[in-house]
Amino acid sequence: MDLARNAELRERLAAEFALGTLRGRARQRLRRWIAEEPALAKAVRDWELRLAPMAAAAVAVQPPARVWRTIEERLGRERARPGGIWANLAFWRNLGLVASGVAAGLIAAIIAAPPRPSPAPQPVVVRVPSNEMAASYLAVLSDQKTQKPMLIVSAGRSSNELWVKTLDPAIQVPDRSLELWALPPGQPPKSLGVIPRAEKMTALKLVAAADQALGDVPALAVSLEPSGGSPTGAPTGPVLYTGPFLKYW
Amino acid sequence: MGADPLVALLAASAQGNRAAFEQLYRQTSAKLFGVALRIVRQEDLAEEVLQDCYIRIWNRAGDYREGLAAPMTWMASIVRNRSLDWVRRANPEVIDVDGEIIEGVASDTLGPLADLERSRDGAALARCLRELEAKQRQAILLAFHDGLSHSELAARLRQPLGTVKTWVRRGLAKLKTCLGQA
Repeated sequence: MDLARNAELRERLAAEFALGTLRGRARQRLRRWIAEEPALAKAVRDWELRLAPMAAAAVAVQPPARVWRTIEERLGRERARPGGIWANLAFWRNLGLVASGVAAGLIAAIIAAPPRPSPAPQPVVVRVPSNEMAASYLAVLSDQKTQKPMLIVSAGRSSNELWVKTLDPAIQVPDRSLELWALPPGQPPKSLGVIPRAEKMTALKLVAAADQALGDVPALAVSLEPSGGSPTGAPTGPVLYTGPFLKYW
Repeated sequence: MGADPLVALLAASAQGNRAAFEQLYRQTSAKLFGVALRIVRQEDLAEEVLQDCYIRIWNRAGDYREGLAAPMTWMASIVRNRSLDWVRRANPEVIDVDGEIIEGVASDTLGPLADLERSRDGAALARCLRELEAKQRQAILLAFHDGLSHSELAARLRQPLGTVKTWVRRGLAKLKTCLGQA
């Protein structure tokens, strides 16, 4: 059948396909034509978008919690998405952090992350001006599921400022806040503040110099909280990113 | 018109942001589950459809174009498509889950169109649906929401197959003309 030449028939089939009245073999046959004929594919897409707003009238039914759990499991099995800034760094083992000093040349610190059973480890190099990232305390917080590094946190030993660098601005979620937590051993998490949105590098105020405030903290975490931060003073949302808090001296 | 927060969630999901994707799921899954359930009519099947669709949405989030449709419209078309592929109805005499849409259509009060008018992409469609003859509108709404084939539609409306096909065809043609003028 030459659908390419029969615009009227093409239009009618596209509409019926999108509406859903074609079923079984008729639907499968049309699917094959769609794959072969771009004009038909476009007509179907147009019709789907034309009709889909009607779905607004559908009665909402809460799906069981197992549906999301299964989706998460299935996503966890997939490799990190190709494309995006980490495209060529899908799997990484060593993380080299190069801090370029203003006058002092380059200071390089290599953090050996635990070995992961993954092919082709490649170093991730992050260039950070040293005046913004004094490498005294340092943490790289990674996505718990994908192991992608998402944030770098650092502080000078005697500084009251904790620098947070967001490696991927897309981690911010509308209407929610990301809150940074210290995880002191044997104690509940201690809030270090909400990570401001729309800024790649920001400083959070510490209650005291880093040596006093964070000297005994082995790890940091970021949780997803209601806008403005946890209302209870303890994490209430899922923990998204974690990493060891390391001392460099 | 205010910015649709789902646009930002989809954009963040396209960047690989799992937290944004989870929010997207929380905000859209009930409506989309309703869409799938209504078509496939079996809860376990609808759950599988929903899982497949969200994996697809995650993988295809980067293909979404804000200029073409609202996020919900885009996602609903994915769910409908998948549901229609999966539906295997032994018995064409389907049960009406909630009766709401059927009753609204039958009494011609057009209750379902009220929701439609409030949505970004739906206002023009609602207006054009109102311009159809009642029987054409009823056939199209039934086919759409319940995923009925022509013969199922004929059984439901107790009309000859040919008659129902004509209603659907003419209704769709008018709809397109009307939307083209919008």
